[in-house]
Amino acid sequence: MNSEYIHTLLNKYWRCETSPREEQELRDFFSGTEVPGELVRYVPLFAYLNEERSITPGSDFDDRLKTAIKKSEQEQQYITIRIFAPALRIAASLLLVLGLGISVYFISKQYNKPYFAETYHDPNAAIKDATYALIKVSNALQSSEEASMQTIQLIDELEIDWSSLDSLSSTLPEVPGKGADAEEMALDKDSNDTGEEIKEAFRQEEGDL
Amino acid sequence: MSSDSFHKKILPLKDKLFRLAYGIVREQAEAEDVLQDVLVKLWSRRTEWDEIENLEAYCFRSVKNMALDRIAAKALRKTDAIDPENEVFYFVEHRSPHHDMVQKEQREMIEKCIDELSENQRLVFQLREMEGMSYREIAESLAISEDLVKVSLFRARKKMQDLLSGFRDSGAW
Repeated sequence: MNSEYIHTLLNKYWRCETSPREEQELRDFFSGTEVPGELVRYVPLFAYLNEERSITPGSDFDDRLKTAIKKSEQEQQYITIRIFAPALRIAASLLLVLGLGISVYFISKQYNKPYFAETYHDPNAAIKDATYALIKVSNALQSSEEASMQTIQLIDELEIDWSSLDSLSSTLPEVPGKGADAEEMALDKDSNDTGEEIKEAFRQEEGDL
Repeated sequence: MSSDSFHKKILPLKDKLFRLAYGIVREQAEAEDVLQDVLVKLWSRRTEWDEIENLEAYCFRSVKNMALDRIAAKALRKTDAIDPENEVFYFVEHRSPHHDMVQKEQREMIEKCIDELSENQRLVFQLREMEGMSYREIAESLAISEDLVKVSLFRARKKMQDLLSGFRDSGAW
């Protein structure tokens, strides 16, 4: 076999352009003894392929297959019984679950009464107690409302000058505009006066310290 | 009539189907089980054979699927040990213990490389290299496109080439 031919064939092989017959040629060549040095590296591959190609099922395989087929034919006959068997099993488990469920139900009926203390069987008593509870709640709300009103009154009595505390009004820049100008100018003037008052108050406090 | 078809059409495929199963499960006994299960199942459904377009491709697909299921179910990974029944040694004239060991290593190396191929690459490689099936036959047997067959084969062979070219020529080889 011509070395150049083999090289060409091998290149075709890597490009997957060989026919099955050409591939057989390659396998035959590489299993021989005339492999040139630079191609020796590929011998294991083709040798492996050759080996794998000759794997067959065991010699007793055919007999075992026949036995298996006969067995499967017999099993077909028993299918009718087999269909019902699972159904019987399912019915049995259903009964079991039902039975358990019913017993659990009865047992729980016995033991659950003490836990039902919070429901009322007498509707009148229920209304009475509910009304009582609601009155208590509304009383509580009312007293908290009254407390809030008292707090508000106390605060009112302090007569705090809110406008001086309002940081926005004292820092309004002089913006040339139309109608709003007069109003803003007035506000400005006002806060300037009270600004002085506050500064005075702070100085006094610092003096106290 | 069906018994006849069974013997004429399907049993002749037995060896090829076996090798496909073996290529996947990598064990003689397992492969035989797969093959047997598939054939028995086929036989029990012989009334449906007429409805199947390509019976042979169908056989290959069944074997492939069942073999893959086996592996998944048993979490069977290809073991590092080689099936002792298949240790065939070539280069009979130059045998020596060292040589045998080298050959064993070479074989293991190639098997490992094949194992690392993607599933499609491995199956296509097998069906082509072992069975000499055409691209079209492979496509039908694996239920993939012919283009995918060509691409997979190309990549598989390329990996083989890279693997084997990576070694400098030393005396041991």
